Amino acid sequence: MQQIISTPAMNTSPLKSVLQRFPFVPALIILIALVALNGFFQPRSLSFGSITGLFSTYLALMLLAVAQTYVVFSGDIDLSVGSIVSLVNVVIIVLMEKWGGGGLTVIAACLVGILTGLACGVANGIMIAGLRLQAIVATFATSIFFTGLALYVLPVAGTPAPEAYWMTYGGTYFGIPFVFYVVAAVAIVLGVLARMRLTTQMLAVGDDAMAAFQTGLPVTLIRIKGYVLCGLFSALAALCITGDTASGDPLVGGKMTLYSVAAVVLGGSALSGGAGTVTGSLIGALIIGLINSLVFFVGTPSEWQNLVQGLAILTALMAGILVSRGARA
Amino acid sequence: MSELLIRGARKAYGATLALRRGDLHLLPGEVHVLIGSNGSGKSTLCKIVAGSVKPDAGEVLLDGKPVTIAGPQAARELGIGIFYQELSLAARRTVAENICMPALPVKGGVFVDRAALEAKAARIIEAFADVAGEGFSADAPVNTLRADQRQLVEIMKALATEASILIFDEPTSALDRAQVDRFFEILRQLKAEGRAIVFISHRMDEIFAIGDRVTVIRDGETVGTSKISETDQASVIRQMVGERDDLATPAVAPPAHQAQRSAVLSVSGLSGPGFRNVSFEVAKGEILGFGGLHGQGQSAVMRSIFGADAHHTGTIALNGKQIAMKSPREAIAHGCAYVSGDRSRDGILQGRPIFENVTPIHFLRNQLALARPASLRERAMRPLQALKTKFQGLEQPINSLSGGNQQKVVIARWLIDRPDVLLLDDPTKGIDLAAKTDLFALIRKLAENGMGIVLYSSEDAELLNNADRILVFNSGSVTRELTGADRTRYNLYHAAYEAA
Repeated sequence: MQQIISTPAMNTSPLKSVLQRFPFVPALIILIALVALNGFFQPRSLSFGSITGLFSTYLALMLLAVAQTYVVFSGDIDLSVGSIVSLVNVVIIVLMEKWGGGGLTVIAACLVGILTGLACGVANGIMIAGLRLQAIVATFATSIFFTGLALYVLPVAGTPAPEAYWMTYGGTYFGIPFVFYVVAAVAIVLGVLARMRLTTQMLAVGDDAMAAFQTGLPVTLIRIKGYVLCGLFSALAALCITGDTASGDPLVGGKMTLYSVAAVVLGGSALSGGAGTVTGSLIGALIIGLINSLVFFVGTPSEWQNLVQGLAILTALMAGILVSRGARA
Repeated sequence: MSELLIRGARKAYGATLALRRGDLHLLPGEVHVLIGSNGSGKSTLCKIVAGSVKPDAGEVLLDGKPVTIAGPQAARELGIGIFYQELSLAARRTVAENICMPALPVKGGVFVDRAALEAKAARIIEAFADVAGEGFSADAPVNTLRADQRQLVEIMKALATEASILIFDEPTSALDRAQVDRFFEILRQLKAEGRAIVFISHRMDEIFAIGDRVTVIRDGETVGTSKISETDQASVIRQMVGERDDLATPAVAPPAHQAQRSAVLSVSGLSGPGFRNVSFEVAKGEILGFGGLHGQGQSAVMRSIFGADAHHTGTIALNGKQIAMKSPREAIAHGCAYVSGDRSRDGILQGRPIFENVTPIHFLRNQLALARPASLRERAMRPLQALKTKFQGLEQPINSLSGGNQQKVVIARWLIDRPDVLLLDDPTKGIDLAAKTDLFALIRKLAENGMGIVLYSSEDAELLNNADRILVFNSGSVTRELTGADRTRYNLYHAAYEAA
């Protein structure tokens, strides 16, 4: 039985209802502020070329943040996304080298890479939703395992990607850089996913798994699907990072895992699940990218860069909380 | 339309038997009332029908054919819909999404059909439109709604299943009169359509207003079914009470009623979320019982005295001195102690040794920064031994103890420095019988030594056996005080089930 005496009706301010519908608004404000700051310290950073560069560098993180979002939706977390990126990176690099690096073989290798990501997602999903292991610990363990696989596939970093691959990623078609085609395609895919029944179901599971079970939702299957989507987008992130770095590195994704979690939180999603948007995570990833470039543009000495970067991310997190708290009051 | 027969349903959670022998015969076109006291097994029986709890034994027959209900999804496919007492809503999804969540309308195989979803939700919301109140709309997230509105959403969700068997487990506890009337109108309509409806409520007037037949459950066993038209309130309560007379064999001898001794705790006009205008005094050496159904404000009052939850108005005085209990820290400093039945949330420090679980209050009350381990250990051992706690050593992690022993550790924590007031909030939840007996013997001894004790128990027998005086809570206020020979199960139920 719940409380007998009802709490007074909350009056919804317009700002609050906007925030309820678009929880990424605070992130968007921070993003705009960062763009302005970048422009102030380095006017050239707002040029078309610089923005293209920003996207080609941070597209991988954006996709990885998307990957993380889908598991966070249902109240889970995946600490193995970075190692999936590493694994897929070395798998496609080795296959492309083996198969000669021609156009068709590049596509074939990419398909194998995507399948690898999906397989990792299925494994994580079965382990966590099926066998009920703790998500944090289990994915931490699988991250070590996936990194081990990556090191087995390619023990030493440095094998270059075939020219056809990175030339395409860095190229320009009909006057528009390739990365923007990718961005457009991703936007369409995300739009489609947002309309799927699965998304609503994942959010319901993340809100209250017991309630979702009692409602008759197949909770285990829904959580597994979240991990599979996560594996898929991690693989896509690997394809992008391979295009950007043009080489194989079995540890390339390691550092990106917690950045992806930070991007999800910056984007206004609740780590406890049940609330959030993919758009917010994309913005969160861009915020991290812009902070990194801002640290560079203001001329921070290299030994101070990590410190300033950390402080800046903390500031962004706090600003996000302040904005949403202000709206709630 | 379906007919449902359950025979000998049984369910145990570990050592506690939630349902011993549940029988229910549900006919199409009737509103079948299920009634029983706290923890008698009504909700467990409902959850078995709804597939969210798997019975250990027993059979379910649907239209004469034996069926196994594998899960909530399977139940839905068999045409069974349920209103969960604790609600099954996704707080951050909208009203419309929640109503349709069990079967989201789909187009193209995978996409949510928004238009169909909104149309379906609108049709159901329509029926409650004029009683739902301010701020209720199809696109409002559920967490922006009031408690009664959330309950309406859960009702709508059950109605949206269009199941031929509908179970409502306390659907009206937060609703106002107009909302209940509207709900009953809809129930009558469903009944006319030939649906079979199970209805649980603790309001006698509602039961007699809407029910066709009533099945009484006592201590996990179905006692009997009778026609509402052939029974009355008193005989239903007598069936719930059974042949027992709890005062005959009390666990400890109830003392002569305290002659107006000094009040150690006095509360007056306390109102807050979940309770209103609660006033009482606890004398030195008295055990004051809080009775009534679950969640009628008993815990909320205790938590607010202890400073764990807020209250809006009213005063709390300890030993005649008025104190604003703003935090548990303050309450502890003034000599208040609180033991909750929800050990894992409010009691134990998970995974830590017994030693650390016994000592924190001692540090706080004496404002110790440092302590000599040897003398501290000695202090910790004394109450643990007095409580007959079974453990190997102070370094043993608390989780390795049984529930009863864990609770003894939590109580021991408060006894190193004797408090003036001990608030016991359903302290025996999930504890075995032997430990309970120890516990109540100790509580009586503490009272005899001059402590003022407030005891809430969801087990009526514990209250009747151990409390010197019982305040019966109903819908957040104290509706009756039972003293002396009035402390009978019949009187307790009568006060608890009265319409507030």
